[in-house]
Amino acid sequence: MGELAVSGTSGHLLASIGLGSCIGLALLDGTRPLVGLAHIMLPNSNGDADAPAGKFADRAVPTLLEEMVAMGAIRSRLHAVLVGGAQMFSFGGTSGLDIGRRNEEATREALALAGVPVRAAATGGNKGRTVRVHVETGLVTVKEPAAPEFDLYATAAKAGRTR
Amino acid sequence: MKTSYSELQLDALRELANIGSGTAATALSSMLGIPIDVSVPSALALPLADAVDAAGPADSYVTAVLLPIFGDIDALVLLLFPPEDAAILCSLLGVEADTEVGLSALGEIGNILGSAYVGALGTMTGLELEPRPPETVTDMVGAIVSTVLATGAEATDVALMLDSDLIVEGTECSLSFMLVPSRDGVGELLSRLGLAG
Repeated sequence: MGELAVSGTSGHLLASIGLGSCIGLALLDGTRPLVGLAHIMLPNSNGDADAPAGKFADRAVPTLLEEMVAMGAIRSRLHAVLVGGAQMFSFGGTSGLDIGRRNEEATREALALAGVPVRAAATGGNKGRTVRVHVETGLVTVKEPAAPEFDLYATAAKAGRTR
Repeated sequence: MKTSYSELQLDALRELANIGSGTAATALSSMLGIPIDVSVPSALALPLADAVDAAGPADSYVTAVLLPIFGDIDALVLLLFPPEDAAILCSLLGVEADTEVGLSALGEIGNILGSAYVGALGTMTGLELEPRPPETVTDMVGAIVSTVLATGAEATDVALMLDSDLIVEGTECSLSFMLVPSRDGVGELLSRLGLAG
């Protein structure tokens, strides 16, 4: 939670297990095996620079983008997949608002600001989710309770077009 | 932002949890007619990610009862029932687990335990604490606990969890009890105990 990771190692798998109101933000290059995943917990850092970079949507998006580019991703090719942002409890917390939806909105805003399109999403509802991102194929799978794991998104990347 | 607590403060919070869960155990015991043991509670101040791990494997399923607390401090009381333990509790109550009635029974257990716990805390600290109706959810531990922490601990990187286990005598059944105060709430609890700052 609050963490982010980038991997370009074929065979690797990035996962966020048990996303509730949190957002699992996957960034994919699409033409090479290079993916990033952030586990975003809250919408706004309000200038808190000490927090883990992945914790807040407004900081997680630019940070993950930078790390992807540093690993060799082409910025204009990057696209996003969103998972999570559920409303687990109808009780809204101190803010009185649905934190899952606020997380999704803030993440989408930050992505729009950075010019990164969202290609697929499994968000909202009231169930927890686990997201897995396969580095080599760019396949994004989602598992919800009492349901089989399903493929949410598959990039065009072919294993043969790597390197 | 205060993110660490002294041993003395954690001891005091542990003692609060101990009395709260002792009261809750008495309530559960009279409901089931079976003695209930209480483990020594732990008071953990953990980074949020570690707090989720402390609750159990993130992808294991539990039934959770969440009791929001409002009043002089805001807090969340969370009870976690692993599936086997939920089944034992339901059978002790003569209802079937994994049914609407079973879930409602667990919600009621959560309500009674949580209210007893919060009542004891209020009496000890002189704080007005009012529990709201419980919500019962069955889902992944990680999804539940991370959402509770995101909701209750919005402006902090460290979660304070007061964690106790209640063990139903003669069974393998135990349930885990967590109090997650808001950040301001921890300060208020400590100052009522004369241990502020």
